[in-house]
Amino acid sequence: MTSLPSTFTSPVAEAPLRPRYGPVWRLALAICALLLILLALTLGASLALGVGLWGINIPFVWGFDLVNYAWWIGIANGASLFAAILVLRRHSLRTAVNRFAEAVALAAAVCAGLFPIVHLGRPWLFYWVFPYPATSEVWPQFRSTLTWDFWGILSHIVVIGLLWYVGLIPDFATLRDRARRPAAQRAYGLLALGWRNSVRHWSHHQAAYRLVAILVLPLLTMMQSIVALEFATTLVPAWHDTRLPLHFVATGLAQGLAMVLLVAMLLRWGLALERHIDDRDVDLLGRLVVASALASAFLSLEEIAAALLAEPSQWAATVNRITGPRRGAYMAAVVLGVLVPQLLWLRAARRSVIAATFVGASVSLGVWFDRFSIVVGGAERDYLPSLWRSYAPTLVESGLFIGTVGLFGALLLIFARFVPAVSLFESRHDEQEERT
Amino acid sequence: MSAPLYGLLAEFDRPEALRAAVRAAMAAGYTRLDAFSPFPLPDIGRDLGARPSALPWIALAAGLIGAAIQYATQYGLNVVAYPINVGGRPLNAWPAFIPATLIVAILWTGAATLLGMLLMLRLPRLHHPLFAVEGFERASEDRFFLLILAEDPRFELDGATAFLSGLGALAVREAPACE
Repeated sequence: MTSLPSTFTSPVAEAPLRPRYGPVWRLALAICALLLILLALTLGASLALGVGLWGINIPFVWGFDLVNYAWWIGIANGASLFAAILVLRRHSLRTAVNRFAEAVALAAAVCAGLFPIVHLGRPWLFYWVFPYPATSEVWPQFRSTLTWDFWGILSHIVVIGLLWYVGLIPDFATLRDRARRPAAQRAYGLLALGWRNSVRHWSHHQAAYRLVAILVLPLLTMMQSIVALEFATTLVPAWHDTRLPLHFVATGLAQGLAMVLLVAMLLRWGLALERHIDDRDVDLLGRLVVASALASAFLSLEEIAAALLAEPSQWAATVNRITGPRRGAYMAAVVLGVLVPQLLWLRAARRSVIAATFVGASVSLGVWFDRFSIVVGGAERDYLPSLWRSYAPTLVESGLFIGTVGLFGALLLIFARFVPAVSLFESRHDEQEERT
Repeated sequence: MSAPLYGLLAEFDRPEALRAAVRAAMAAGYTRLDAFSPFPLPDIGRDLGARPSALPWIALAAGLIGAAIQYATQYGLNVVAYPINVGGRPLNAWPAFIPATLIVAILWTGAATLLGMLLMLRLPRLHHPLFAVEGFERASEDRFFLLILAEDPRFELDGATAFLSGLGALAVREAPACE
């Protein structure tokens, strides 16, 4: 067991095997740990004392909870759609960004899954939506959209996790072979499932990887549509609309791409991966963000046009969203989610770390405000004027949201620490092709 | 003759050398072969008879079964076992049953793809004779290996060693069998 040769992929492979990590990583993890404490406190309070701690009340039965849920699902969907398309198109960019697009998707799906469960009121009974043979013989009501959430999130997390894990098996084998500490050898050896790099293994692996990637495409259009249909099945004037699934899928894609761009920039800077995530990759990602922001722009125009053509109550609800008490959220959605990303038309902005990070954060935030505008601003003008009131989140709700940001960050940091951030076997393949 | 042998392993430094070696070994009449590479080499996989085409069918079958089970569960529980009249709406509310049916079908398909792959590759396994061979860990880095299994009807130690050395291998190593 002499030292292994230093190749193109060595820096990436060595990163997870280092016994110690840099101070920046530890500092970032410490910040995330603080936010996790906040999450534990607010989650604990919501569980122990109930959702009366939240600002929700009729007609705002969901409030922040659904805003955050839809937002995290959007990140998960956008990132996994991007990852799946890269796998299916065998694009050269996939080597660079596929792995952490999958990781972003998985972490975001975990954060999203938290919200509907806490919102149940008695979350420890969440398994009641699963049709298990209870002695009470009371079965779940499948005509309720609540059960869609259960199956949707379950499938989403499992399938995204599979895409991530299937792609990782050969890389776990590489880490197993490079590891020197017995504990690392054993851990990565178990995760690699006995992978031997046989060409037979590769044939089956590639077939399985592409198959799971194909599955992701219908999965996430359905997942995002399910979230949107839960709005559309209600009679609230601003929500009762067939255009909502399209709106959620398209803006969610912009948001997911922006988040991948943001994480790509941070990883590139933090792990010094300039060779693997080069300027061309970042440039392409920037173009994709602009393209999806254009789709969002079209949808925000179409939103007004659709409301003009609809019945007066829907028009009134839309006008209230744009000019009512929550007009700030609407304006923020348009400015941050549609106008700011147009900055990436400039080549210099696409090449700049600061601009890309700024735009990535801006689009993510813009889509959050879009969801807020729909969930809160949209429900302010229902058919009953006696219910015309507004909603504001309490500290507990805000703490839950900020806490999940910490959970997301911690999951990504742990991922960057223990798993190769860039696909090793695909990098080796690209290197071989460049040489010949 | 010392310990029983699992096979003979030849090391190459380029995929073209491995490709040529696989073709030469097949031309020489060896049938129980395997090749190892740090990244996918689909043409060698095809030469050695890797047939992953069963995988999509496993996935499709699992998806259909999953969809059928999910729809049947929703129908059976809400129509037969526990019918509730909600404003006179039909009990078999198929539009409301469709989202869960489709998404659970995808769940079954995804799980079957991974499990089917592992089943077809006879994985997971904790150990394999090849892991004991010195230098084999470079199969996940930058080296390419051709293996002739000892169970090959034409296998004969001296002849196979000479054959593999003649192919321009960097090294030819014996892989002892496990107990």
